[in-house]
Amino acid sequence: MSLNIIQPRPKLGRAEIARIVVSMVVACLVGAAVLGLVYLGTDRYRRASAEATEREAVRDMLGLEAGAHLLEVRQYLEPARRLVIYRAAPFGEPAAEAREVTFTLDGAVAGQRALPAATPVPETLQPLGRLFVAARDGRAAGFVVEGETRGYKSRIRVFIAMKPDFEIADMRVVEQEDDPGLGAEVVQPWFREQFVGRTPEEIDRLTVTKDPIPEDWKAALVALARRAPDGPARHRELLQRERRKPIYAVTGATISSRAVTEGVRRTVDHFRRRWWLLAPQLEGVL
Amino acid sequence: MSTVLHPGPAPSAKQLILNGIFAENPVFRLALSLCPAVAVTNTVLNGLLLGVAVLCVQVLSSVTVTLARGLIHPRVRIPVYTIIIAVWVSAIDMTLAAFTPALYAQVGLYVKLIVAFAIIISRLEVFASRQPLVPTFFDGLGMGLGFLIALLTIGAFRELLGSGSFAGIPLAPGKPLLFFALPAGGFFSIALLMAFFNWVERRRGGGRATPVKSAGGHGV
Repeated sequence: MSLNIIQPRPKLGRAEIARIVVSMVVACLVGAAVLGLVYLGTDRYRRASAEATEREAVRDMLGLEAGAHLLEVRQYLEPARRLVIYRAAPFGEPAAEAREVTFTLDGAVAGQRALPAATPVPETLQPLGRLFVAARDGRAAGFVVEGETRGYKSRIRVFIAMKPDFEIADMRVVEQEDDPGLGAEVVQPWFREQFVGRTPEEIDRLTVTKDPIPEDWKAALVALARRAPDGPARHRELLQRERRKPIYAVTGATISSRAVTEGVRRTVDHFRRRWWLLAPQLEGVL
Repeated sequence: MSTVLHPGPAPSAKQLILNGIFAENPVFRLALSLCPAVAVTNTVLNGLLLGVAVLCVQVLSSVTVTLARGLIHPRVRIPVYTIIIAVWVSAIDMTLAAFTPALYAQVGLYVKLIVAFAIIISRLEVFASRQPLVPTFFDGLGMGLGFLIALLTIGAFRELLGSGSFAGIPLAPGKPLLFFALPAGGFFSIALLMAFFNWVERRRGGGRATPVKSAGGHGV
């Protein structure tokens, strides 16, 4: 038996190399074309269903009945003119008129106008985030604010629901790409329910601990997430003990837990400061 | 025409399908793609969903390769197969995301992994690249069905023992043997079912067990 198992390959001629290159390039081009077509055919439906899921999540987090009035506010930055622009429109009604409010960077109102339905967003505007305002009798009855933070691997996007006094009503991780079994565990109901019921001042001082979460507190949080009948009562009772304590990190996901907590803290803080400026400008559309 | 694995007369559609389900079952006989077979089969439903996705990708990729086999340069055939599989997986991924978002939220992660499934690329290399359209289609169908049935069996076995339910319907109180729902239990389940398959095969074959054709052992 020869030791020379690996046969020397015949040297490739130029023509052969060219054929190989063409073969690969054609395969990639055809593949890209097929994917492009599928993307064009499905993207509209994907976006529609993502929007429907989002709407459902927002209503669910605020505990709204299906007919409640919900306003979607998109925030943009216009870097060239150093302006912050808000566009507010009834959520999920593309045919409705919107209101645009413009602020300078130091918070002074620079202008306000009505926008006809389906006004395109100019390319110079950088999206800064969204918030949803539930309205009852012309006053804000609750908020859901979108926040973003850097997770372990990629960005983590959260929805934070707040009562009119900015107490946290609910929190959800709506997008994350951290590792399954580790960072991705921050979507666990007991983790996110830890934020519920805390006041903005408490959120502002919030830290994260690696200590194990007390069993009774975890059970109460799970019950709350599952909408168990005695969930809110048990949660309220234990919250008295826990509200001065830090957030308990998910085991093996300390970095992601910190990221989410920091994201919530920053988002709530920003939102409160923005809302004081914005609320007077939205009179009439709420 | 004869298959490479079994020289002889051309196999019929029925033979090819049965071959995929029994004689060369991807999981129980070829022992390919065991990782996903363990990862997703803690419930019947998960097994079903991934099984159907694999069935579609296998048939589509096999058919594409057999139709394009004259055009694929032999030196770069493996990368080209990978591109073909990736295209079909992405197409299915996008379609699922668009039309069945709830389902996609559950299986989305696993669907993307199908690109690296050893069973699919091995069928392209062993069968689709050397056979005409019709047998290739049935080979792909048989292999896909074999994988689907294997995942269903493992899923049913593990869900029944691990969670005491079938397709989410509770049958027994509590969790009889939680071990089987955990990842390690997956390996034991596959081993037990494989042993059972071998036992059935031995009885059917009159005491002669067909040797398992290992296709190189560990792929994803």
